[in-house]
Formats: sequence, C-alpha cells, structure tokens
Amino acid sequence: MSTADVLAPPQAAAPPVAPRRRGALQSRRRRSALLWFLLLAGPNIALLLVFVYRPLIESFYLSTLQWNLGSPVARQIGLGNYIELFTSRNFTQVATTTVVFTVATVGGAMLLGLGLAVLLNQKLRGRGFARTVAFAPYVLSGFAVGILWLFIFDPRYGLMREVLSWVGASSPQWYTERPWPLVMVIIVYLWKNLGYVALIYLAGLQSVPQDLKDAAALDGASSFRTLRSIILPLLTPTSFFLLVTMMLASLQSFDIIKAMTQGGPLGSTTTLMYSVYQESFVNGRAGYASAVATVLFLVLLAVTAVQMRFVQRKVHYA
Amino acid sequence: MSHPRKHRRATAALAATIAGTTLALTACGGPSVGAETSGEATTETTDWSQVEPASEITWWSNHPGQSQAVEEELIAAFEAENPDITVNLVTAGANYDEVAQRFQASSQTDETPDLVIASDVWWFRYHLNDQIMPLDDVFEAIDADADDLQPGLYGDYEYDGQHWAAPYARSTPLFYYNKDMWAAAGLPDEGPETWEQLQEWSASLEAQVPAEGSPFGLSLGTSWSAWWFENMIWGQGGQYSDEFDVTLDSEEALAGGEFLRGLFHGDDAIATVSADDSMADFASGLIASTIGSTGSLKGALDAAQFEVGTAYLPDGPQGGGTPTGGTGLAISSSSTPEEQLAAAMFLNFLTNTENTATFSQATGYMPVRTSAVESDTMKAVYESAPQFRTAVDQLADKARAQDYIRVFVPGADALLTDAIEQIVLEDTDPAAAFESITPQIETAYRENVEPYL
Repeated sequence: MSTADVLAPPQAAAPPVAPRRRGALQSRRRRSALLWFLLLAGPNIALLLVFVYRPLIESFYLSTLQWNLGSPVARQIGLGNYIELFTSRNFTQVATTTVVFTVATVGGAMLLGLGLAVLLNQKLRGRGFARTVAFAPYVLSGFAVGILWLFIFDPRYGLMREVLSWVGASSPQWYTERPWPLVMVIIVYLWKNLGYVALIYLAGLQSVPQDLKDAAALDGASSFRTLRSIILPLLTPTSFFLLVTMMLASLQSFDIIKAMTQGGPLGSTTTLMYSVYQESFVNGRAGYASAVATVLFLVLLAVTAVQMRFVQRKVHYA
Repeated sequence: MSHPRKHRRATAALAATIAGTTLALTACGGPSVGAETSGEATTETTDWSQVEPASEITWWSNHPGQSQAVEEELIAAFEAENPDITVNLVTAGANYDEVAQRFQASSQTDETPDLVIASDVWWFRYHLNDQIMPLDDVFEAIDADADDLQPGLYGDYEYDGQHWAAPYARSTPLFYYNKDMWAAAGLPDEGPETWEQLQEWSASLEAQVPAEGSPFGLSLGTSWSAWWFENMIWGQGGQYSDEFDVTLDSEEALAGGEFLRGLFHGDDAIATVSADDSMADFASGLIASTIGSTGSLKGALDAAQFEVGTAYLPDGPQGGGTPTGGTGLAISSSSTPEEQLAAAMFLNFLTNTENTATFSQATGYMPVRTSAVESDTMKAVYESAPQFRTAVDQLADKARAQDYIRVFVPGADALLTDAIEQIVLEDTDPAAAFESITPQIETAYRENVEPYL
C-alpha cells in the first residue's frame, strides 16, 4: 500500500459508481481511516494505557491486598485497608490538614495572584522585569525552594526571625510547634505558585477589550466598579481554569512538604498525598498506601466533576 | 493499486503490535497472592568454587558520615587489586531510610544493586522480603576472616544461624560536650556519669550558653530518636519490648518516658529540641552538649571552633548502656552468583583490617574488626584524637543489644519516634503517648513478623 493510495480523496478519483461498489469503497475508506487513527493515536493511547490507566487499575487491585513493599507475597483482604483507613485515628487529622492546605493555597494564590496581576498590568517602569521576577519562583524546583526556605524560617538563625524582630515580634517555632509547620509550608507553596497565577490572570486582564473599559469610563464608573462589573466577570473563564488546575495541583503537592517537614511534626503537615508516600515507602505498607491513593483519586475526580458541573455554569465566556 | 485484504492485515498487525506492546509493558511483576507466608527462601546452595566473579557490580550507598570520597578511594584501591572487577558506586539516598525505600521499591525490577546499605532497623525487613542472601558460605569460600569481625557487631545480623549482612559503618551514640564551656563553668573535663549529674551541672552551664541555647540539646527523627532513647528507657530499668512483647506500659518504661519529658518540660528542664540537626547547634555553640552518632565525630571535630569532648552516654538510676547502630552491607539475593561473589569479595575488601581503619579515621565510625582496633593506624588516630577511642571503649564496656521491636518490626521505629515526639514537642503524658502507638506496633508484628518466625 502506498501513501498515495490512502491519501487520494476517493470521491475525486472515482466517478459515480454502482451502489455495491460504493459500499466497498466506503468500508475501504473506513478501514483506511481506522488505520490512520491507530497509526497516529495508537502510540499515545498505548502510552496512556501503560503509564496512566494500568497503574490506576493496578493500584485499585493492590488496595485490596495486605502487601508490604518488596515482599514477594501478599494476602487478599478485600476492603480491609479502606476500613482501617476510615476508622484510623489519623484519618481525621490527614483530612483536615488536606482541606486546610488546599483551601489556603488555592484561595490564597488566586486572591494574591489577581492582585499581583492587576499591579503588573499597570503601565509602570520596569514592568517587564517585575513580571519576570514574579514568575521566576514557579520554574524553580520545589525541593530546592523548600530547602532554601528552611534556612529562612530557622527560628534561631533565619532571615524570617530577623524580619520579625524589626516589628518587635519573636519567631514562632516554625519547625516544631503546631500549627506553624503547616503555616510555613503554605507560605512557601504560595510564594512558589503566585507567579503562575499572576501570569495567567495577566493574560486574562489583557484580553479584556479596551472599548468596554472606555465605555465604562465614559459612563463615569469608578475603577473599582469597572473591576467588579466588567473585568472580573470577563475573567471568570480564567478563574475557573485556575481553580480547577490549582486545586488538582495543590491536592497532589509533595515536593515542598517532603523537603521541609517530611509530613511532621507528629503528622501535622501530612496531607492525603503525602500519606500515600509515607505509608508506601516509609512504612512499607504498599497495599494500604494504594487504598489511600484510591481515596485521593476519588477525591480528585469528585472535585473536578463538581467544578465542571456547577462552577462552570457561572463562567462567562465572552 | 491497494488491496483491501492487505489493508485489513496491516490494520490488524498494527493493532496487534500496539496491544502486544501494551500487554508486555503491563505485565510487570506483582506479589503472588494467597500464600500465607513465603516460608524460608529457596535455599539452593551455590557451589562458590565453580563461580567466577562478575566483571561489574553496583553498590548502593548513602555515604554515611560524609564518606563519599573515602568510599571512592577504597573502590579505586579494590579495582587496582582486582583489575577485572569494576564497582559502580550509586548515591541511592541521603540516609538509611531513603536507601531502604529505594531498595524495596526496586525489588522485582532489574534495577537492583549487588551490594546495599542495610541499617540496624532495615536489614531484617530486607530479609523478611527475601531481598538479601546469607553471607556465611560465600565468606568461607573467599577466606574472609569472619571471626575477626567484632562479634558484638557481626552478631547483630545473625538470624536463623546465618549472618545476613556484615558490619560497615557502625556506631554508638556518644555524649558530646563543649570542653571550653565545661571549663568556663568550672566542671571537670569529662562527661557526666549519670543523667542526674548532668542535671546538677546544668545550673553552671546555663551561664555559658547564649540566650537561645541550653545546656543540652537533642534532635528528633526516624532512625534516630528511638535509638538514643533506648539509653534513657534502659536507665530507668524499662525497655520497648521483651523480645517481641511490647512492654511500653510497664512502670519502668513509663519512668523512661517521664524522664524524657522532664528533660524538656517542667521547672528544671535542661534540654531544647534542635530544629534540624543537634550536631549543628552543638558545633555552633548554641548548646553545650548533645547526643550524636559516632559517625558525626569527624564532622564535629572539623566544624567546631572549640575543643570537642566525647564521653559515654550517662546512666540512669538502673544503669543504662548504649545501643549499637549504624549500618552494615548486604548482598542482594536477586543478583547472579557471579555478581554475588564479586560483591562478597568487595565487601571483604572494604572491611579488612586496613580499610576499616581508613574508613574509621575518615568518619569516626568504629573499626569493625578486632584486629583493626589495635592496628597501628588506629593507634595513631587515638593518639592524636582520643575522642575516636570513646566509641570503641563504650562498645566494649556498655553495649547492649537493641530491643527487638525497634529493629525487627517493620515501621516500629517510626511509631516509637512518633511517641517520643509527642512527649518532647507537646508535653504529652508518656502513658498516653506509648498507648497511642502500641496497637499499631502489635499489628505490624502480627502481620509482618510473626508469620515468618
């Protein structure tokens, strides 16, 4: 088979034909379309199957086992891991930590990011430089960022201690005294991701048509009124996109926690995602960890579905 | 001209290829389900005299005691002596736990090392998972003088009449003190014999430390706190467990917990928690004394601007003692006999009299051979830095085998650490702290150890 055979548009090549012949032609076309589909989409589908769906399904299966990482044998225990998870003392703490972390990082990043974007959208000198600086933390490695901020937060020698002392405050015990470790991790996560949110909002701001703003100005609207009645509604697609992606990213965040607190002290910075790592690799309970991972997956699925179903209705696509 | 048949065949072939590849990639190994236990591993004995060493082996290390340079040096020396064998040194983690996580995750893949770091709390889990092999036969085949290995250290890896690792970077916790502050406080140049004595001395040490500092400091963390706390719980006559029976609710164990609580809380608290590493706070002069591993000795001597003193861990009212710890090296059971033989040869080389002395000198870890302790190299080291001697003497005078649950029950070390953190960080009643972890330790024992005994 040559490429020309497949590529040649059959209707152009063939004059009107008898019905039987047309049927053959159609099925030939269908097959050739299928062939092309497999050829082009096949590799991607194969990759997805191997690296996304297979682990997903295997993880469901593993969650029904009592299996230690590295062990050649396992025992089937049905829903035992799930029962243990939902009845464990730690579950409430992990769930609360996850919710607090997610709400604080997503909400905080979106509010501050919008503010930063409005600021960066002003016609100021050095704006390009400021934009670059604001975006820079986002491209840094989360692990490196975590390690660096550990120095800053060090309650005995850290920069933060110095800064706090300017206003007469003493440094909290960032590493050891609840709730400060969680606050510390949230601050660093915000710092790292703010630039990204700001950048996306900035793009949204710049796509707000100038004539709408001019019209509002002509009608004597204050700049706050313009923001509330024109800019924010026109930014809803951006906000929606950020809400979905930031929430997924936040629920899955790992590197900063691993670098800074390892989920501690006393589990106070252990999110659902972190406990998957902790249970599987630290405690070696791969079966139980798979159950936690499955719960996390369902949470992510639910969050996304709810957002798609309800929040999207409020989105105003211009 | 195209042929529908050909199309069909091509389509089918393509689909089959994709499906086949997918299946092949999907069919990775998993655990076999159903069997209650694996029982003993298939102990097929290898006739080592028929095996030729492999030309290349891989060693996973975390370079304990910042030893990467000396490890590389020793590899070069080995390769010079055995030109047919190459050793690849892989940094497999920053600490024992990370190496262990990676080693466990690597099981059932082709990416396993031939020689791997196996710390006190991990080697038994490797053994339970059938990931490592016993060393006795292969050591005999290569004439490794196993009898010369310090019995207290080699014996730690014995189970079922066989040794599953050989000692490498072995340590005890040491009491480190700042000699300058000690002198300024008018104290004798020695560590306290008892914890009570440290308490008394602390009054005069308070004046020597900066406002943020304290006479004594400790850091927390897995593979760490539950190690030094053994000294304290033993000092009160308690222990984590009697063999595998958890004894954390005994009066003596609770007294151990109360002692720890008193160190950090209450009116005459003398200790603070170090945010990160207490050795760093010690070296910077923030705390006057601490507990650190023998393996931190070289680093402390290099970093401190003052004279560093080392001493035995203090005793409690019921005595005390020191646990031994650190890491050994184990050989992977999934390597080929050729690789295993080469790994054994290299392991024997690493721990021979001369090299264990070299390693000890570079890090502060204890020499693992009896012959090395009295070797000229070590004598010279002890002469110039007597601090190196403390650990070896303490091993002889005060060493005590670790409580079973900490080293043999998977995850128990992390749980014990949790209880210790509750007491130290949150002033939790020791009874409540210990009670919160006991059921989990018992479950871990029932699920992961008992079936294999």
